[in-house]
Amino acid sequence: MKPHHPDTTTLMEFSAGNLSEPHALCIRLHLDKCADCRSRVETLDSLGAVMMESQPQSEVSSGMFDTILSRIDSDEGGASKHAGTAAESSGRISPLVKLLGDDLNSLPWKRQLGDVSVLDITDRFPGQNEQVVLQKLAAGGKAPSHTHRGEETTIVLQGAFADQKGVFNQWDFVVLNQEDDHKPVAVGCQDCITLSVLSAPVKLTGRFGRLLNPFIR
Amino acid sequence: MSTLDKKPAQAEGRKDPWSQLLVKVGKNQDREAYHALFQHFGPQIKYYAMANGMANHAEELVQEVFVSIWRRSCLYDWKKAAASTWIFTIARNQRIDMLRKMQRTSAEMPVETEDLWQIPGEHENEPVTSLHRLMSERRVRDSLKHLPEEQITVIAKVYMESKSHQMVADELNIPLGTVKSRVRLALNKLKVILQDQNV
Repeated sequence: MKPHHPDTTTLMEFSAGNLSEPHALCIRLHLDKCADCRSRVETLDSLGAVMMESQPQSEVSSGMFDTILSRIDSDEGGASKHAGTAAESSGRISPLVKLLGDDLNSLPWKRQLGDVSVLDITDRFPGQNEQVVLQKLAAGGKAPSHTHRGEETTIVLQGAFADQKGVFNQWDFVVLNQEDDHKPVAVGCQDCITLSVLSAPVKLTGRFGRLLNPFIR
Repeated sequence: MSTLDKKPAQAEGRKDPWSQLLVKVGKNQDREAYHALFQHFGPQIKYYAMANGMANHAEELVQEVFVSIWRRSCLYDWKKAAASTWIFTIARNQRIDMLRKMQRTSAEMPVETEDLWQIPGEHENEPVTSLHRLMSERRVRDSLKHLPEEQITVIAKVYMESKSHQMVADELNIPLGTVKSRVRLALNKLKVILQDQNV
């Protein structure tokens, strides 16, 4: 897959509903802006339907349909109520805004060192094992060189950064792992803000390694 | 998908009996059509729940899915998705919702399941993709018949048993790379991967 998009196996796990919420959020934000990946997910959703159809079936209990009918009968107005929420959804609020409000720059950022600020939002995803962090690299700023002990899934929310692999613009998606020792630089005239989901702590490789350990952990 | 002209795709949508039934439910609250959908998809969804390790909640999931189908059927548009794809995504989302509710502690999640996993055709206005969607289901169904068993097995475990590729590799005792390459071979044939540049 192209380096700035989720790979197909990840999209498949998304379509199957198997990704954790923070991972799914990264994919959703990318899909909202990427028609190619959206079209792949549509085909994958069809694959899910065909898989479900081609597997064995399990008989449902005989009274179930009546139970369902009585539920929809006692729920008159349910359909119209739902139509209302659907109408609202045409002006859908991005999950990012629901989660963080509409001004990323005014969040309670914690300055780490030099050009880097972070905000840990793991507690917004109760019951998840991964760490979820926002990172901000000041416009023109550099982050210290670091590698990754586990896997780090990142989506660019604002601005752009560049490293050895290229330039990552807003809504680009990138997965970094142990093999990626990178030294990102914010490019353009905006601060670069990213959302990352980390499966294990980051290991810093530069001479500030120890000092910077909390960064992108 | 620009090579497809509009007519075959529309004919496709009209021909699909399940999509027709779902339209009737949405337009006229047609209970016979609803019952036919239940008889066809109910047992599929129950198996889906059981394979996903929700044996104790399988009937509950079928109920939730069907109540949800009834409530949102007025939003269904056969031009945007085949009924089976639409219903699969509802079943998937209800499964995720149930698991989230079971795991949820005191803290509430500000983001709803459907903010992350969407039902095709409900959240956007993209006439261009609807042709692609309608063709894709039949194409997938036709090409699935020609896939080797080992590729279908891997895909089935991801979709029906909610396993990651890593878990599938562990279970089948084969390297992760092998699992991924089986999936890629399959998806290439299903034309999910249109132009994969650096696999």
